[in-house]
Amino acid sequence: MENAGRFKRWRNRRPFWGATLTLLAGLMILYIPLHLYAIAFAPGSLAFVGFLFGGLVMIMGTLAYIYPQFSTVFGVVTIFLSILSIMGALGGFIVGTIAGIIGGALCVGWRMEEVTVDEGRSGGKKTKRAKRAKDDEGTVTASST
Amino acid sequence: MKEETVAVGRTVKKRFWTAIAAGFLAFGAMVAVFGMNMTAVAMPLGGMGDFYVELDELQGEDFHLAPHIGETGEADEAPMVRNEIGNVDITNLHIYKDLRMPGTENWIRINITSPSVSIDGLIQDARLIDANLDFNDLAIEQSNTDEFTENWTQNAETITITDAKIVTDYLFQSVVSLEGAEISVENIDEPETMEPGV
Repeated sequence: MENAGRFKRWRNRRPFWGATLTLLAGLMILYIPLHLYAIAFAPGSLAFVGFLFGGLVMIMGTLAYIYPQFSTVFGVVTIFLSILSIMGALGGFIVGTIAGIIGGALCVGWRMEEVTVDEGRSGGKKTKRAKRAKDDEGTVTASST
Repeated sequence: MKEETVAVGRTVKKRFWTAIAAGFLAFGAMVAVFGMNMTAVAMPLGGMGDFYVELDELQGEDFHLAPHIGETGEADEAPMVRNEIGNVDITNLHIYKDLRMPGTENWIRINITSPSVSIDGLIQDARLIDANLDFNDLAIEQSNTDEFTENWTQNAETITITDAKIVTDYLFQSVVSLEGAEISVENIDEPETMEPGV
C-alpha cells in the first residue's frame, strides 16, 4: 500500500465504487426530469420530485467520497431515495433505481480496517488483520500491495 | 522483520448482500403495491418524441389550454398546445409509440391500452388534436405580455372529448389509475404519420 499511487491510496480510503455508482444512478434518475424541466415548475405539478430525488442521490454519492466514515448512512439513504425515485422520474427507466440500490449497498458494506503489514527479509509481504470483527468473515479485501 | 499498520477499505460481503436484499425487497414491495391497482404517482412520459393517444371519451374538469413550444423527435422547438386538466376520466384509452428496430428496416409498435382511466393533475403537450370537443363555461383570456405562453389561455369548467386522436410529446400525471391495463408489442409495416390538415 505504501508503494501504491496517490489515486489508488485515495480510492482505498473511501467507498469508491459505491460512491461512483451512486453518482451515476443520480445522473440516470435526473435524465427524465431534465427532459421535463418545462413541466417541472408548472404550478401544482409533482414533476419537481424527480429533480429532488435525482439531486439528493447525486449529493449522497458526493458525500460518500468526502465523508467515508458515514458511508453506511449515505448508503441506506441512497437505497431509499433510489426506490422512491420511481415517482416523478421513473427511476431513470428503472436502470437508475437498480444502480442506486447496488451503489447504496456497496456504501453500506464498506468499512475502514486497520491491517498490520509484516515485511519479511525476502521483501514479500503478509497482511494480518489487527482487529477481527464478528462480521469479518468473507470480506472482499481491497488490494493492499 | 518490520511491522506497520495500514488502513485499508473493505467491503463486508454479509452487509453488502443484506443491503442488496433489503433494497430489492423494498423495490418489489413498492412495485407490488402500485401494480395491484395499477396506480402510479407523479408519472411522467416524455423525452422520446411523438407518441399517439387515442380515446373514445374523456370527461375532464378544470381545463386550461395555453400555447407552448417544445421538442419533438424531429425538432428541438415545435409549436404545441399545453393542456392542463384537474380531474380526468377516460373510456378506452390507447397510447402507442412506433419505433424502428436498431440496425433493421423493421418497425414495432408499443401499445398501452386501458378501458377505464382516471387521472389527477394531467399536463399534456400536444402537437395535433383531432377530436370532437365540447366545453362548458369556455373563456378565452388574453393578457399583454412578452411571455408568449401567457398571451392567451383557454379555460373551461368542464371538457368532453370524443373520438380523439392526439399527437403528444409530453404527458405528466400527478396520480394515474389504469384499470385493466394491457401492454403489448406488435410488428407494423410503416410508422404512423399525422400532420395538420391530413
